[in-house]
Amino acid sequence: MTTTTHRPTLELRGITKRFGHVTALDDVHLQARPGEILALLGDNGAGKSTLVKVMSGLYAPDEGEIRLAGDPRRFATPAQARSAGIATVHQDLALVECLDVATNLFLGRFPRRGLFVDRARMERETEEFLRSLDVTVSSVRTEIGMLSGGQRQIVAIARALKTGADTVLLDEPTAALGVRETAQAADLIRRLRDQGKAVIVVSHDMQLVFDTADRVQVMRLGRVAGVRTVAETDRDEVVALITGSRRDT
Amino acid sequence: MSTVTVRAVLRTGSGRAARLLTGPQAGVFAAIVVLLAITQARNPVALQSDNLIEILRSTVTYFIAGCGATMLLVGGGLDLSIGSVFAAGAVAAGMLMNHGVPWPAAIVLGVAVGGLLGALNAFLVIVAQVPPFITTLGSFFAVNGLVTVLTEGNPLFDFPEGFGRAGQGEIGGIPYLVVYAVVAGVLCHLVLEKTRFGYDTRAIGGNESAALANGVAVDRVKTWLYVISGGTAALCGILLAARLSSADPNSGGSSFAFQVLAATIIGGTSLFGGVGSVGGTALGALLFSVLANTLVLTRVNPLWQNVATGTVLVLAVMVDQARRRRRFRTGRSG
Repeated sequence: MTTTTHRPTLELRGITKRFGHVTALDDVHLQARPGEILALLGDNGAGKSTLVKVMSGLYAPDEGEIRLAGDPRRFATPAQARSAGIATVHQDLALVECLDVATNLFLGRFPRRGLFVDRARMERETEEFLRSLDVTVSSVRTEIGMLSGGQRQIVAIARALKTGADTVLLDEPTAALGVRETAQAADLIRRLRDQGKAVIVVSHDMQLVFDTADRVQVMRLGRVAGVRTVAETDRDEVVALITGSRRDT
Repeated sequence: MSTVTVRAVLRTGSGRAARLLTGPQAGVFAAIVVLLAITQARNPVALQSDNLIEILRSTVTYFIAGCGATMLLVGGGLDLSIGSVFAAGAVAAGMLMNHGVPWPAAIVLGVAVGGLLGALNAFLVIVAQVPPFITTLGSFFAVNGLVTVLTEGNPLFDFPEGFGRAGQGEIGGIPYLVVYAVVAGVLCHLVLEKTRFGYDTRAIGGNESAALANGVAVDRVKTWLYVISGGTAALCGILLAARLSSADPNSGGSSFAFQVLAATIIGGTSLFGGVGSVGGTALGALLFSVLANTLVLTRVNPLWQNVATGTVLVLAVMVDQARRRRRFRTGRSG
């Protein structure tokens, strides 16, 4: 599975994570490459969320190695993972509904000018940043509570990227979205790839996976059931890997 | 829950103008005007400057504590202990002055006592994880008891002249008290609307876990909010003591705490955090003073005042809730 042309941005080697007697992850390998979308699939309890939490710094693995651009790294906190360039968008989005788009984008690091928050700069930079992602919002002064689920997802993704991350981890980005909104989110995910980011998408949504992803990695019972390039597989094979009726190893 | 926290705070120029006409403050403002008009029709004393200044003077006590309560509620907290902290501040400053401490220092130390009691509330809420309602209900009783024990229930007096002047003086016909309230109000407004502390406060009240996940120093901000709540309540107690030249351990109490919270909520501040403004609280506090004034000038039995206060409070929140639901629906479908 290794290629020489793409050096992986994020690489997991032999990751194992146990909770008491339960082995949630067992010798898991994973590679995320720049300019590529990797879809992470698997049934409930397959270990996807645990894996996401390991990559985003919420869980420390018991065994194995996390490498960023070839260097082994350890993340004690989500903040460390974030500053190392791994942006995570969790399912609950963590937006403040009663605050506007610009304020949410700068949550936790409001720019100051003298004693006061520099609102003008916040709004200007938000507009510029959203434009650079090809995202249009009617106004950066719109409250999150007034936005649709899809627009919220886009704001959450944009905020994750604001840290200048080169690896983006999306946990079920379309779980709560309608058809049209899912298409919008898929568009943004593709644009992230086109900008050279390594994108990892955890999803149940086969349509989304086959529409956007370049590779799929299927998890089953805490192990890697198989890795495929989308161009060289089909739904039947992927479903077989998910349900366990087909196994690589 | 989400229908409550979501409210339009569009910060556009037209939005600001529109908010004055359609926001929660508009109704309160209209109510104040109507009450003054009714009173004036039945008693021409109402709009005379003496009466208007008296209304302002009685607003001060509730408003300054209301500033602290507003910030705390916006940050998702709650402080019921302000009624006791009010008396604690007055008694602490009074005891210090009776022991020869100069009055300006006694005021500062009295406010500090309030701040410390706030810090204790913060500790219990944040570290011991006791819900704010329980924590501050407990400290309400405990502080109330302590103050009574320390004074044996007797008011303190014999304060330096300067202290009395600070509470009774006027400048150009405007009581110092009103000046203090304006300064406190402007300060709190700027902190809440313009500073990083204020932005963090609103983020915490709006969605605490989101604020935490994005690196807001949640515990530090919340601690300061409780300290500010205690400090402003103590300051109110001290100012009343200066106005009356007497520090009464029985002043404040639960009725003070509830009046302050009622004024704050009528002014558009949400009990669920994230939403609220100091300007709204000013109008809310003013409405209650005008209401009390109306009852007196129209010779209604003042015992009716609490009935009126309670009715107005529930009505105001009902109207506000209905407006928010409507706004939320149209917002989502658009």
